[in-house]
Parts: sequence; structure tokens; C-alpha cells
Amino acid sequence: MLNNKKNFLGKLKRIGGWEVFLLVILAIIVFLNTLRAPNYLTINNQVNLFKLSIEKIIIALTMTFLIINGEIDLSAPSIMGLAACFSAFLYENGMNMGIAVVLSLLVGLACGIFNGFWIAYVSLNSLVVTLAMLIGFRGLARLFLEDRSIGYFPDWFNFIGQKNLIGPFPFSLILFFILLIIAIIVLQFSGFGRRVYVIGNNKEAARYSGVNVKRIKFHLYMASGFISALAGLLLAARYGAVRGDTATGYELDIITMALLGGVSIFGGSGTLWGVFLSIMIILNIRNGMSLASFSGHYQTGVIGVILIFSVLGPNIANQFIAWSKRRKRMIEEQKTCESDGKEVIIETK
Amino acid sequence: MKRIYGRFSPEQIRVLFLMLLIVLVVVIFSIQIDDYLTANFFNRISTSVAIIAVLAIAQTLVFLTRNFDLSLGSIVGVTAYIIGQQLTRIPNMHPVVTVIFAIGLGMLMGTINGVLIAYGRVPSIIITISTLAIYRSFLVEYSHAIPITTNNLPRWVVELNKISLLTIGGLELRVLFLIMIVIVVIFQLVLSYLRFGRRLYAIGSNPVAAKVAGFPDRNIVFMAFLLSGALGGLAGFMYLVRFGNIMVLAGQGLEFASIAAVVVGGVSNMGGSGTAIGALLGSVMIDLLENSLYRTMAVSEFWRGAILGMLILLAVAIDHVFIGRLRKIWARAGFLMTQSEEDPEKAEVSSHVE
Amino acid sequence: MNKRQNNNPILELENVYKSYNGVKALTDVHFDLHPGEVHALVGENGAGKSTLVKIIMGVIQTDAGSINLDGEPVKISNPQVAQDLGIAAIYQEPMVFPDLNVAENIFISHAQRGSIVKWSKMFRDAEEILGKLDVKLNVRMPARGLTVAAQQAVEIAKAISLNVRILIMDEPTSSLSAHEVEQLFKLIRALRNQGVAILFIGHRLEEVLEISDRVSVFRDGCWISTKPRDEITIDGVIRDMVGREFSEFFSKTKTERGDLLLSVRNLYKENTFHDINFDVYRGEVLVFAGLIGSHRTDVGLALFGVEPADSGEIMLEGNSYRIKSPEQALKLGIAYATEDRRHLGLTMPMSICSNISLPLLRDYLNKLGLIKRIEEEKTAEVFRKRLDIRASSVNISVENLSGGNQQKVMISKWLNTDPKLLILDEPTRGIDVGTKAEVHKMINDLTGRGIAVILISSDLPEVLAMSDRILVMREGKQMGIFEQKKAEQELIMAAAMGQNNIKQGVAL
Repeated sequence: MLNNKKNFLGKLKRIGGWEVFLLVILAIIVFLNTLRAPNYLTINNQVNLFKLSIEKIIIALTMTFLIINGEIDLSAPSIMGLAACFSAFLYENGMNMGIAVVLSLLVGLACGIFNGFWIAYVSLNSLVVTLAMLIGFRGLARLFLEDRSIGYFPDWFNFIGQKNLIGPFPFSLILFFILLIIAIIVLQFSGFGRRVYVIGNNKEAARYSGVNVKRIKFHLYMASGFISALAGLLLAARYGAVRGDTATGYELDIITMALLGGVSIFGGSGTLWGVFLSIMIILNIRNGMSLASFSGHYQTGVIGVILIFSVLGPNIANQFIAWSKRRKRMIEEQKTCESDGKEVIIETK
Repeated sequence: MKRIYGRFSPEQIRVLFLMLLIVLVVVIFSIQIDDYLTANFFNRISTSVAIIAVLAIAQTLVFLTRNFDLSLGSIVGVTAYIIGQQLTRIPNMHPVVTVIFAIGLGMLMGTINGVLIAYGRVPSIIITISTLAIYRSFLVEYSHAIPITTNNLPRWVVELNKISLLTIGGLELRVLFLIMIVIVVIFQLVLSYLRFGRRLYAIGSNPVAAKVAGFPDRNIVFMAFLLSGALGGLAGFMYLVRFGNIMVLAGQGLEFASIAAVVVGGVSNMGGSGTAIGALLGSVMIDLLENSLYRTMAVSEFWRGAILGMLILLAVAIDHVFIGRLRKIWARAGFLMTQSEEDPEKAEVSSHVE
Repeated sequence: MNKRQNNNPILELENVYKSYNGVKALTDVHFDLHPGEVHALVGENGAGKSTLVKIIMGVIQTDAGSINLDGEPVKISNPQVAQDLGIAAIYQEPMVFPDLNVAENIFISHAQRGSIVKWSKMFRDAEEILGKLDVKLNVRMPARGLTVAAQQAVEIAKAISLNVRILIMDEPTSSLSAHEVEQLFKLIRALRNQGVAILFIGHRLEEVLEISDRVSVFRDGCWISTKPRDEITIDGVIRDMVGREFSEFFSKTKTERGDLLLSVRNLYKENTFHDINFDVYRGEVLVFAGLIGSHRTDVGLALFGVEPADSGEIMLEGNSYRIKSPEQALKLGIAYATEDRRHLGLTMPMSICSNISLPLLRDYLNKLGLIKRIEEEKTAEVFRKRLDIRASSVNISVENLSGGNQQKVMISKWLNTDPKLLILDEPTRGIDVGTKAEVHKMINDLTGRGIAVILISSDLPEVLAMSDRILVMREGKQMGIFEQKKAEQELIMAAAMGQNNIKQGVAL
């Protein structure tokens, strides 16, 4: 009996302090929300929680891979919008929706390839490139739809986004969990995932060990483009309509979900468990704020604050630890010198 | 040719090239469109360029230190709105006070950015993506979605957009335009002559050497963001003057335009290079294209984002691929030239260039 | 005028000890500098020279011992303190701001010049200082375009402008042409005559003797000798640098040389190396000997495809290849163990078995692409036993291992790829003696099984003990190939330093 307890604690330690911290935060938030709304923990409510942001959290998965790899894709929401707008545009012009969907997915893939080319092979800075394409792809999306809003998609399309597939779970939610499981398997257990970590940790060391850094980065951006397009289409299905600015401003939530989840912005560390927990936290916070009648914009502001603290916190903690170590050393040295009497200490600035 | 090596650096060449490009664009457009080169056109553009240019200067300061400021659009929106609101309530607020108030507000927001980035050591991309949202959501909450309208603004604000301090022929040099000129001149001087400005370059050029040389690098980065915010506040005031009607989403997307302007203008995010003049030229190019394509040629304004994004990418790619190589060739040739011109014996400097 | 006659040292280090991770870098070292002198410090790689420099510059602290400045004890706790005390250093790679112009680079650290930059005055002052040093540079050009020689001149100008009292020059001549060296020496003499104390570290002995007033020799972290220039001979210096017993080291067991495995002809890389020609046979150890800056590592990197050569022929088992990537090199059976173990050789937070399997990760994946952890662990266990890696389990992070054990993990990684040719770059640097012997044993083991080894080493006893043949390089140029029997430490060192008497034993 005692042995089991020890093993459990040992396992807990291995999972990581940050994830445990997130779990505690999540529990607190859920508890607070439950106080406010007694039916909070029902399946229906939880599913609703997810429904509202399902497309974002799907992209958070690919974003996690990219950030761990030491890169970023700010253009993902714009690819979402582009795919959605493109499909709507095709549909409006008489094309079969199914074919439009396939073509839009290919467009997303093309966007990913475009990004990947500049970043992986020309070695341009991923921040600048994806920032430029955030604008560029969004611009293309607007091009197709201009001011209009296109809707009235075929029933089957709407069904995917709106109706529940199995019990209370809609298609997109099931898809998310499938993707999550695949992502976990790939990232934590596959060779590809191992390489993603290694590259993010130290690109040069990875290269010296025979890892094909360029190819992996290229593949990641391709995947990001494709999944973003998929998420965009799901969004279109859920709303039932598409506008030129669909999916604008999602990058904040997505990056927060990854960074709060313990993924370091510098690359090389973080797990999907942590990201999943932080997704839950963000969703529950948003839901809680909605219950308390805070507007969408207010919620966004709060998310922004969370993002800052999720990076600032560890930074300050590290600086504090380094500072206290230095102080301890200085105090010790001072002690030995005082006893010595002769040495002069020149203070550091 | 030899003279050129000694006189101009690749960066200066780039600026000249950009000027030529702008002239080329103007020529092309004037062929396509009738009555393109009218004084009227200049007058209209001058005020829109002004806002972008001020923001481009702000972004330049930040870029030089290898950082980004994505919150500029929100800073503009918040400032424009709050100033507008105050003017609505206190119609006889003195113009100078108004401007100072606007700058101060912007400075406050810039300070928040600066503290978190310089002292909290958080990457600027993270902070400014967050403050972009935080400032905007603050504005939405604060305004309760009530827009500022020109009807409620004091006359002078609305008039200011049209007032020109100087008229040459048909060309009106409007107030906003002049503000831009003043800012560009001030910061060109700051970057060229003030130790603070030179240190911005140093930090971006070689952060390690800057540390070793004992620079207060955190303070300098902080100042860069403080100034960026201040300029954003000024741009907010200019925005209010130009548009009068301020809605909650005012200024959204301006940060991207400012980034496009500085990148096209030759300011590198890898730090160390770029000038205020370059930022100005970049703004001119961006705004020129925008106005010419969309307003005049009635190219769908929805091309805007796509073109902007492509421009940034193109500028960065060209800089990366060509300017880097050009620099090496230039440096080797130029240096050899200088050496051999001045002292033939010294001409056997080894061609060992980075 | 000439302030050399001041007999009181400006800087004095006494009884200095310093260790890193259990390896003694400096043991009971004495060193002093007088104002107005050029004091040269020579020694092999690993003799402790750079450690001494780091201590004087405040980058690291001594474990024991005292530092006196002008007779008063000081504690140089960080580089800023060193700068305030008037100590400056110029390294092989000058630290300039590439986008700022020359004049700005010179005056960059100056607080007193005020907030406003007076360009014309700055240009004039810069030209004046450079004029004093008799250097002609366009002070308006960005520093990016300058040659290394010019950048060094800028750094010296900077030091002068800061009224430096102690100037450390660490291998300043390695990238310079003969003419540029002369110019540099003129500058150094000018500085010396102004009373600056100069610590000069160099490898070209003729240069050292030309410029210095005193020469000190370090070996294995110990002070060996300090003599005034007129009492010194080149042979004497070399003898001081290398003289030691090497019985404690493993000797290469004689194995039959196998077939020709690798042939390299006319290998060339711009500004890095040129005219590299050699053969490697199965079962032999070819040692690349030389000093810092000889670019031996770059040849290794070219063979491994990390930094491919610009031109030349590489023939493996009769077939010619252009090796463009590490992936390709691995497929050809070439493996390369880097000298920078911490930053390039291992992925720090990962476990031992993850590190070992990395180059061959493909072989550890099942049909779905998932990692076969059990196989990985098995492999790691095999190596743990074989190389005696001291760790509680193969699943712990390599971060927590000692230097020697980290080295073993890195070597295991490459052994695992079953290479035909293994390139080891300074595998025993910074390692304790026990592990050194184990590494040597392993090399013997490998050659016994027909694997060819290229060993890049700066440790002369190791070079002699472990080699079948020795290829000496100097500043990217191949000086010659020695048969082991005909080689002696002093011959090798002389060749590495570019001495002309290398006629004996040169074989291709």
C-alpha cells in the first residue's frame, strides 16, 4: 500500500510541477464557476464550453508543435479565414460544397508550404514571415468575400458544425479529441516528435546529430496550414456563414493556450498535457466570465493579462532565484574577507 | 565609381533606390490615371501618410533594438478616443494641452510595454500581442461602444485637418503633414546625433558587445518603447483630427501598416540598420500604393491586405538575400579602394572579410 | 619616454588555483606584469592560458590565490570591474558593432563625451588616435566591412582612448598576414612605450620572441618558467612547453593496417583550409595535430557534411562523393564527435538513451513511427557497460553527468552508428585522467575491429601515444604527415608552429 503511494507521488513529480500547478488552478476555477452556476459540471455545459472555441483549440495543437520547435505561426488564423472564405466563394459561384471543401483544404496546405519555404529553406525569421502572411492571407480572404457574408451552406455542411454526432458531442469536438490523442502520440512518443523537441532545444546540435532540420520545419508548417484550413471550415460550418474577417484575432488565445500550458517561447520544452490543461483553464475562464456577464472584449483583455503572466511569472521567479544565489555567494565571500581583514571588495554594479 | 564606395554605404544606396522606386511608381500611375499629379492628390495623401509615418518612426525605434511593437494600433485607438471624449466634454481645452495629453497617454501605455519587455525580460512579441488586446478591450469597456462624432468635437479639431500653414502653388502643407515633418526631422537628428539614438543602433547591432561595453541596455530598450508609445499617442491625436468619428475599433491594423512601412524603408528587425528617413520613405511608398491603387484606380480595396503582406515578405526576402551579399562585396571593394587610394603600400590588405 | 624601467609590477597573481568540474585548470600559478612591458605567455592548448585571462578579466573567479593591482589586493568580480581598473582585452575575434562606423566603435564606451554626438570632432579624434598608431582607416565606414586586422586596430584605438593600463592580447595574430602583423607590432610597441602593460598570448614563436620583453611558459596548468627575452631560445621554449612523462598514457597497440578507406585530395574551403591531401586506412589512427586556429575541426566538419568544403575530392572505398549533409555522411559510414560537447554534442535536457539513439532514430521506430523505448534502453545499457558510464540509470538527463561521462555518452552515440570512419575532435579535453585512459582503450578497440579513426588532438603525448600517423596543420594549411616512429613531440610542435625544420619524417 505504501509502495503504491510512493510511486504515485514519484509519477506526479515526473509529470512536472507546472502541470500540477495548472491542475490546481483549473480546479479552483471550476469550483468558483460551479458556485455561480449549479449545473456547471454537467456534460451539456462542458460540451458547450468547448463548442464555442473548438476551432481555436484545434489550432493550439499545431501551434504547440511549432513553438516547441522554436518557431511560431502567426498566420494560422488568417489561413483559417482564407480557407473559409475560399470555400464560401466557390460555393457561391455554383461549385459543389464537397469539392469546395477539398479545394480549400488544399489552399491551406499551399499556404503552409508557402510559409515553410521561406522559413525552413530560405531561413527567414518566422516571426516576420508569419506576421507578413497574417496580413497577406487575411487580405486574400477579404479579396474573395469583400464586404459580403456568405451563408446558406448545404445541410450536411451545417450538420457537421452544429448538430451533435454522438450523444451530446458534435463532430468537431470528437475531431478535436482524436487530433489531441494523435498529437500526444506523435509529440511524446514518435520519432518525429522527438526530433521536434531536439531542434527546438538546440538547432545546431540537432544538425550535428544528423537531423534534417529544414525538412522537419517545412513539414510542421505544412501541417499547420492544413489544420488551420480544416479549423476554418469547421468554423464556417458552425456559424453557418462566413465573412471576410472570420477568425480575426484568434492568435492571442492560441498562443496563450500554448504558453500557459508550459511551452517555452524559446523552444525545446512543454507538453501537450500542460497545453490541454491550459486549454481547459482558458475555456473555463471565458465561460465563467460570460456567466458573470463580462463582454467578449473584456474577456480578451483578461486573456492578454494571463499571457503576460504566464511568461512573466517564470521569468521573475528565475531572476529571483539567480539573484538570491548571487547574494548568498556575496555574503559568504564578505564573511571570509571580513575575517581576513586585508582584502578589499569592489562592489559589482 | 570609386568615389561612390567611399561616399555611400549600402544602406544609403538602398534609400536612394527606394526614392527612385517611388518616383517610378508615381510615373507609372500618372500614365495610367488622368489628372494623377494634381495638387489635390498630394493634399489628400499628405494627411494619411502623416499618421503612418509617425507610427513608422515609433516602430523604427523599436525595430532597431530587435523588438516589435504590435500594440501601436490599439494605442492610437485608445488615445484618439479618450482625447476625443475629453474634447467633447471640455470644448475649450487648449490645443497644446490636448496634444500633450495625447502624448502622455501614449507614453503611459508605452511604459507598460517597456517595463514588461525590458525588465521582465519577456519577448516583445508576446507582450505587445497581449497589450494590443488589453488596451483594445479597455477601450471597448471604457467607451461603452459610444463613438465619438465630429458633431460633438470643437470646431478647431475638425478644421485642423484642412488648415494649411503654408501654400505653395496649389500644394497645401497641412498641419498634420507638418507635424510629420517635424517628427521625422527630430528623430533623424536623435538617431544620428544623440548618444541615446546611437546606442539604439549599438544594442541591435551587437547585443553581446553592448553588454560587454557596459551599456544600460535594459534602460535603453525601455526608453525605446516609451517613445514608441508617446509617438503612438501623437498619432492618436492626428487620427482624431483626420477622421473625427472615432469608433471602438479605431486604429486597428495600423501596427501592421507601420511594420510594412519600416520594412520596406530598410529598417531591419535584426537590429542595427535603418533610418528615420527610410521609415518616412517606406510610409510614402505604402500609402502611395494604397491611395493610388484603391482610391484612384478603384482596385478593390480588399487587395490591400494581400499586397501589404506580400510587400513585407518581398522586402525582407530581398534584404536577406541581396543586401547581405551586396554588403560584403561593397565592404571588400570599398575598403580596398580607400586603402589603396590613400596609401598604395597598404593595398595588400587581406581580403579576409566576414 | 620609455617607461620600461619601472620595477614594480602593476599586476601580480600569486598562488592561484582554479578547477572546473574536477579538472585542474591552474595549479599554484604565479604571474606578474610590469608597466611598459610586453610579457608573452606561451603554452599548449589546455595549458591554462585562457583561464588566466578570464580571471584577470573578471569573467571567472579564482578558487584560491591573490590578485594585486599596484600592490593593493583587488577582487575582479566581473568584467565591468576589470574595465574600471583599466584592464582591457583584445581577442582573436574582435568585438565591434558592425553597423556603426569606425569612429563610433572607438569611442563607444565613453560617458564623458556627452549626450550629443559631435561627428566632426569624433572623426577628427578618431583619425588622430589612428594617426598616432600610424593606421589609415576610413573612420566613416561601418565596422562591418573591416578586415580582422583593421578591427583589431579599432579595438586597440578604443583601449587607448579609455586609457588602458593593462592590455591583454589573446592570439591577435592568427588571422593576420605578415604585413599586418608588422603593423600590429608597431601599435604594440607604441602602447608599450606609453607605459601600458601588455600580456601577449601567441603561438607563432618567432613573433613572440620578436615582440616580447619577457616570456613565460605554462604547462598543464602550472607555471614553468619566466625569462627575459635575451635568455630565450626557441628550442628551450618548446622544451618547456612539452616536456613531460607520458608513461601514464595508453599506447596504441599495433594493428595491421587494413585497406584504403578514405582518400582526400585538394580539399579547399575559402578562408578556412586549402590543399588538404591525405589517406586513411582501416584500422589506423590518423591524428590531426596543430594549434588553435589551425582549422583541423573544419576539415572534420567538411568530411561530416556539416560545413561542406568548396572543392576537392573525397573518395570513400573507391567512390567519389560530395558530402553535403550529416545525413549523407552517416549513410556513408562517417561519424563525427564534436569538441563542443555541451553545446553541440549532446541535447542537454534529454536522457542518456535519447541522446544515444538520435542519429539513428529511424532504426528505433516501429511501423507506426513510434519510438521503441525498450530497444533504446537496451542499446544504452550496452554502451553503459561497454564504456563504463557512471549513471544511476540510462533514463536520467545527461545534464547531471560529469564531463567524462557526458563524453562517453556522446561517443556512444557515434559508435552506435557503426561507422567505418570515426572522427573524434578533442575527445579527452577537459576530462579526468581515468576517463582519458578509457577513451584511449576504446580507440584501440575500434581500430582492432578495422574501424578507421581520425583523432583531432592538441595534447602532444596523446598525439604520439595514440597515432599511427600524424597530420600536422597550421592555419588551414597542411604542414606534413609524420610516421609515428619518426615523430617526436618537439618536431610536431615545431611543425605546428611553422618552424622550417620539418624535413624529417614528412610523408604523404
